[in-house]
This record gives sequence, structure tokens and C-alpha cells, in this order.
Amino acid sequence: MSFTLKIKDKVEERDFDGEVTIKDLLDEMDLSSETRVTKKNGEIVIDEETIEDGDEIEFIQIIYGG
Amino acid sequence: MGSCTKCGNPNVIIKRKASGQALCKDCFIESIEKKVKQTIKKEKFLEKGDKVLVALSGGKDSVVTLEILNSYVKRHIIELCAVTIDEGIAGYREEGVEIAKAHAERLGIPHKVVSFKESFGIDLDEIMKTEGHRGSCTYCGVFRRWIINRAAREFGATKIATGHNLDDETQAILMNYLEGNMENLASIGPKTESNSEMFTVKIKPLREIPEKEIGLYALAKGLDIHLAGCPYAQESFRMEVSNILKDLTKDHPTIMYSTLRGFDKIRPALRQELQHDYEYDRCERCGEPSSNRLCRACTFLEELGK
Repeated sequence: MSFTLKIKDKVEERDFDGEVTIKDLLDEMDLSSETRVTKKNGEIVIDEETIEDGDEIEFIQIIYGG
Repeated sequence: MGSCTKCGNPNVIIKRKASGQALCKDCFIESIEKKVKQTIKKEKFLEKGDKVLVALSGGKDSVVTLEILNSYVKRHIIELCAVTIDEGIAGYREEGVEIAKAHAERLGIPHKVVSFKESFGIDLDEIMKTEGHRGSCTYCGVFRRWIINRAAREFGATKIATGHNLDDETQAILMNYLEGNMENLASIGPKTESNSEMFTVKIKPLREIPEKEIGLYALAKGLDIHLAGCPYAQESFRMEVSNILKDLTKDHPTIMYSTLRGFDKIRPALRQELQHDYEYDRCERCGEPSSNRLCRACTFLEELGK
């Protein structure tokens, strides 16, 4: 199974097995959910949302340091 | 995963650890607007007939401030105007300026863009190339305040609204406390009022809203916002304090709310004890209010040979 991950202009296809949540993906990529909002197929979702085959996941950074 | 605590909609966009609430898009938007309006009422930020200048960068905080204050325009309570400052940061500022212009136009709000270059004869990129500069944020803060104060007078504004949020406020409280800057600590508050009529009252409608929720509100409402980090942002004490607060918030989700609430309780006593009533005169160079011969902006400009 696979999903599309979009971060700014970068788009990549990622494979996965079993149940994976947004939180699992953020943890795996060492990204903080405190500074990001996630969209799944264009809709805002919470970190417990599970990723399904063919989904488009977008991480939008809304808090920047400085 | 649960459904919206308020209406039962299964499409939840936030789970608030601090309150245990789960909210769908519509209920979340309503909760933010309600909270901001409560703050505005509690702090007596607005009076009928006010003309409020929004310092509009195009970032999430200022765009949300403009959006929510515009509901008071629709109800014929206030008038709005906006100023956007172009510091002259190539490759960064242009997008924010365009977004700010588009929002002002969409809402029919009088708006002006003022650059560092036209105001001071030098922009931030040029300042950062000078030897022995004081660091970008020092100039940026002082020069922006100078432009905003002047724009407020030019527009005939009675209030200036800024996008300071809960994170900004708690960071400022903690930073000043930890560094022992008690006079600065005493000056933090929902309204910044000076004893000089030359300064316009500043209000912070979003000071009780966490930064992340402001970003979430902007996205949930479909508002176009400038999403980028300033290229001059650097490791700073504020960033260290921000990281500490974010870490603490993970296991203590109410920590920022309680920091602000506690501070607001001791603020009157702090002010009485520590705040000075400066005697303001006019800066010899630019005529802006200053407690010294030169205001800070002109002090910096003289150092920069401008």
C-alpha cells in the first residue's frame, strides 16, 4: 500500500504496511505536531487519523521559529 | 477517534488536551471567534466608533486578527485600516505583502504598504551587510514600531491591533522574568497605553489563543496566509524559552493559560511598583515621541550613517 506525502512543494510516494496513523508518520520523520497541521485528501485531520491506501497526506508548517 | 463534543460531527479537526474538547471545523471556528470576542469585551478593547489600525504582515496572526475584527466592521461598531511593512528582505517579504494587499482589498479596508527603504533610506538586507550591526530583530522591532505609530496617526486610528498570541505573551512573561527585566515585565499586558497622547493605544485581541490554534483557524477558514520563516531568524533566548514552553505543554497542556492568568493577576501590583511614567518629548531628528534626545530608530539610523 502507498500514499502521497506533500510537504510544501515536495511530493513523494511512500509505501506502508498495516495500520499507520499521522502521529506514527510524524514520529518516524521526527517532525513535531505542535508546529504543523495535517490535511488528508484536502481535509484537516487530527494526529490519530489513520492513513489508507491512495491517500494524499499534506503537512503544513504553521509555526516557524524566530 | 471520537466525534465533536459540541455537535457530534465525526470529522474532528482538533482535540484540545487542555479542556478535553474535540471539535469539528465549524465548532472550532465558532469557539475561536467566541473566545476572541470574550477577550475584546473583557479587556474593553473596542469602543463604538473606534478606527483600528491592524499591523498586517500577511502571516496567520495578523490575517486572523483582521478577519475577526472585520466582524465588528460588519456590525458598524468600528472602522478598520491596515498597514503592511516591507522590511526589504528579498525572497521572503514579497509574498506576505501580496497576501496582505489581497486581504485588505477583499474586505475593502484602506491599506498602505510602507517600506524601511522609503522611511529610513536603508532596508534590512542592506543593514545586515553593514559591519557591527546589532542583529536583524533589534532593527526590525524598533523600525516597525516607528512606522506603525506614524501610520496610526496618518490614518487617524484610535487603536492599533497586533496579532500577539498566547505563545508570544507567555514567552515574553517568562523571558523578562528569567532575565530580571522587571520594568519590561510590568509593561506586558493586553493593552499598551502610554501616558503620552503621541502614542496610539495598542490592543492584542488574540492574546488568549494558542499560536497553533490561530494557524488552524486560518486553514479551517481557507484564509490565504504567508507560510514561511524569516531568513534572519536565529537562535535567540526567545526561541529557547519557546522550546521550553512547548516541551512543558506536552505533559501540562494548561501551562500557557495558567502562566498568563497568573501574570494578569499580579500585573496591577507590578505596574504600581515598577512602571515609570516617562516624560516624553519629541525626537530632535524625526519628531516622533521620545524620552531621550533621539528616539531609538534615529539612534540606530545615526549609527548606520543614515
